[in-house]
Amino acid sequence: MADVAMSGPGRRVYFRQGTVLKVAVLAILIALIVLPLLRTVLFTLQPETITAWSDVLTGRLSENLFYKPLTNTLIIGVVVSSFCVLIGGFLAWLVVMTNVPFRKTIGVMATLPFMIPSFAAALAWGSLFRNDRVGGQVGWLQGMGLDIPNWLAWGMGPTLIVLTLHYFSLAFTIIAASLATVNSDLVEAAQIAGAKGGKILMGIILPVTTPALVAAGSLCFAGAVSNFATPALLGLPVRMQTLSTRLFGMIEVGQVSRGYVIGILLVLISGAFLWAGNRIVSGRRSYATITGKGGRAKRFDLRASRWPLFAVAFVILMAATVVPVIVLIASSFAPSSADLFANWTLHYWIGESSPDFAQGIPGIIHNNDIVRALLVTLALGCAVAVTGMCVGLLTSYTVARYREGLMSAAITQISFLPLLVPGIAFGAAYIAYLGAPIGPFPALYGTFALLVIAGTAYLLPFSVQTGRAVIQQVGGELEESARITGASFFRRLASITVPLAVRGLAAGGILVFVKIIRDLSLVVLLFTPTMPVLSVVAYRYASEGFAQFANAITVIILMISIAATLIANALQTKSQPWLKN
Amino acid sequence: MLEIKNITKRFGDVEAVKDVSITVPDGSFLVLLGPSGCGKTTLLRMLAGLEHPSEGQLTFAGQTVSDGDKNWTVDPAKRNSGLVFQSYALWPHMSVRGNVEWPLKVGQMSKAERTARVDEVLELLDIHQLAERYPNEISGGQQQRVAIARTIAPKPGVLLFDEPLSNLDAKLRVEMRTELMRLHRATAATTVYVTHDQIEAMTMATHVAVMNHGRLQQFGTPNELLENPATSFVATFVGTPPNNMIPVIKNGLGYKVGPKHMPFEPPKQSPESLAMFRAEALHVRSEESSTSLPMELVEMSAIAGRTMVTALRDGLRLTAIVDGVPAAQIGETVHMELPPEPACWFGQDGQRLV
Repeated sequence: MADVAMSGPGRRVYFRQGTVLKVAVLAILIALIVLPLLRTVLFTLQPETITAWSDVLTGRLSENLFYKPLTNTLIIGVVVSSFCVLIGGFLAWLVVMTNVPFRKTIGVMATLPFMIPSFAAALAWGSLFRNDRVGGQVGWLQGMGLDIPNWLAWGMGPTLIVLTLHYFSLAFTIIAASLATVNSDLVEAAQIAGAKGGKILMGIILPVTTPALVAAGSLCFAGAVSNFATPALLGLPVRMQTLSTRLFGMIEVGQVSRGYVIGILLVLISGAFLWAGNRIVSGRRSYATITGKGGRAKRFDLRASRWPLFAVAFVILMAATVVPVIVLIASSFAPSSADLFANWTLHYWIGESSPDFAQGIPGIIHNNDIVRALLVTLALGCAVAVTGMCVGLLTSYTVARYREGLMSAAITQISFLPLLVPGIAFGAAYIAYLGAPIGPFPALYGTFALLVIAGTAYLLPFSVQTGRAVIQQVGGELEESARITGASFFRRLASITVPLAVRGLAAGGILVFVKIIRDLSLVVLLFTPTMPVLSVVAYRYASEGFAQFANAITVIILMISIAATLIANALQTKSQPWLKN
Repeated sequence: MLEIKNITKRFGDVEAVKDVSITVPDGSFLVLLGPSGCGKTTLLRMLAGLEHPSEGQLTFAGQTVSDGDKNWTVDPAKRNSGLVFQSYALWPHMSVRGNVEWPLKVGQMSKAERTARVDEVLELLDIHQLAERYPNEISGGQQQRVAIARTIAPKPGVLLFDEPLSNLDAKLRVEMRTELMRLHRATAATTVYVTHDQIEAMTMATHVAVMNHGRLQQFGTPNELLENPATSFVATFVGTPPNNMIPVIKNGLGYKVGPKHMPFEPPKQSPESLAMFRAEALHVRSEESSTSLPMELVEMSAIAGRTMVTALRDGLRLTAIVDGVPAAQIGETVHMELPPEPACWFGQDGQRLV
């Protein structure tokens, strides 16, 4: 074969198809996710820091450093995940399988608590239930003359309740989705076989939804054990420590290596439970795929218990959504949380600095710290939305197009790794990673860039998933058929990919934005006074006793989140002109 | 000339295509025929330039477009070829006209030329009245026509089709078959067409390449495949109804078909050979004869004034085409009589014995 035949418009292929892309994506993911975690582990293994392991695990202080917080953490994990599965499962059953009144309303409301930042409910709890044990303002109920016992005001009890009211909505979403796939044919087949209500529940519905129950339980467990805001706000004042508050405390007081060790142990614990849950589920046969056509024919008739069951659901949902929001709003107007609904003033929102009020702290719009935090937070949300969607899209495109090979498998695994890492541990890892200069690169601690990079990495599992949905809309032959016309990569992007994907990308970006602006656990360690973000500012005000400012800031975060979520929903559902029928 | 030389394609450890060589003259209609997973679509995607071969060369009109050994490739757009996707892959945000016009725009054709060419192909495929509609507003058959129009608009020298008719209903499929053949005559482009439907292959092709498990089983004209199948796979895969393939087992006394000794003798001594009988050579009898097998009658259907009869015994399935309708009912035993000589013989490995 003469090379002359090859002198035409061809080119040499130096790498196998996709190799360049895969290497690039893998490099990005390793830099974003693997290196920080690795660096944290390595930091604790240096000669001068390795004693941190024995300090934490066997030393004189290990009881207080690790074992007591560990016990608290495990109690929180087990109790919260059990109640979440119970409540979430109960609501999911009501909504999906029964004829309870206002089914759809219950369904929508049950998904809301997860949209509210987790510290919102903790702050609201404080405004209602604080007693005089730690000083400062008391809550509304104490102010009304009730004597609130310590166990209801502080520590483990409130932490369990608040976390359950936050995470049950996660369990609801997972279990409801699974129940919805239980074909009514399955139930009817059991009825024809002669089974009655209880038998059907125990023999058919429960086994079929077991994977969802396990998944919901392990996700709630991982969420609860890594939650920082709630135990910090409700437990720390009475010295109740969990691993995440311990980690925070260690880093705050400069015992960095001990903090990292606790962080690594926390990752291992939450990762082990997620892994175990996943193992149990995937060890079974997949039930979800066995679906026929049949629509849902009959709902389970609750008869006389329709309204009582509705009342139970109503109380739970009110306590988880409406009450905290009302309390937060009221408290941002009330000078004293002991008297929430009296003497309302706009001072905390628009007042000038005055020595008579809140030690001279000006209202939010005159408060430079808060305004700056608001701007930084919004900028952070936008930046992470853009970078997150770029990396997420690139990753999911690479994996969708070149499925085979070790590198693709590695890309998939690494992109979902942050799910196993609690936010606060991830924040700690990023301090270890970029807090000190690396070669020619300066230390990024206290810079906007650090927040953006850490946020992008932390939310990568989410943006990859969104990216994957977008790729499924656009990918494959639509893109290939454009490639075949000879259009360049950028031309294909501009004429085919972006027009088809723009709404999905925008909606995904907005959801990333919402997740980052209401996050506390990741940024609480990366926070510096020069680079403040709203959630941390709110947390600081709350721990210094200025509940009104904390609550007002939380209301702002809430409103931005809700507005952004609504926009995202509108974008996702808005009909596309070429899809009209 | 379109040449496929010793093409092999590996995905990881899996060999999707193994050492396939095919050459057809310009203007041919080459059909790649085989069951799903046989590597035919992979071969087509290599021709289109979407995949790069691991070994071997592809040559269009003397120009090497892919060389797996020397890692040489010509970009899909510069191969003078066009591909019609199985899913059609119409861009949903562009009108019919937009879909057909965009590749020409990318090819930097002037506005006036573009409009003229789009009108011409829309007319050719009889979809000019749909020009301003969006893909979701037209039927599957019409979408198919738009996909074809889009592909032929830049006048490619090689047209590639990936199971284009598989998403259409039976009647439309027959219509589009005729349409595609008319188009092939009109454009004179060398066409490579992938299908698992042997009827499509037999009616449309000038050349057929039968593939199985990534290997080329036989390459020839439709008639050659029918008259002279090279392997037992080809013999049972093409033809309507398919040929009957019967294991003939040697024992001390002679050759056995099923439970019964019959006077057949394979050309090569071997413990087991396969004898091929054409459906029209079989008879259905009510009485036993020296070359008949008692079998259960399982299917009867009328075909063009004759009857296709299928009978089953111990996993062996025989099909005969006979005049008139046998008296037996479904489920009853009939005697399937074989002719004195099989049409040809195959070894245990499926290769033809001369």
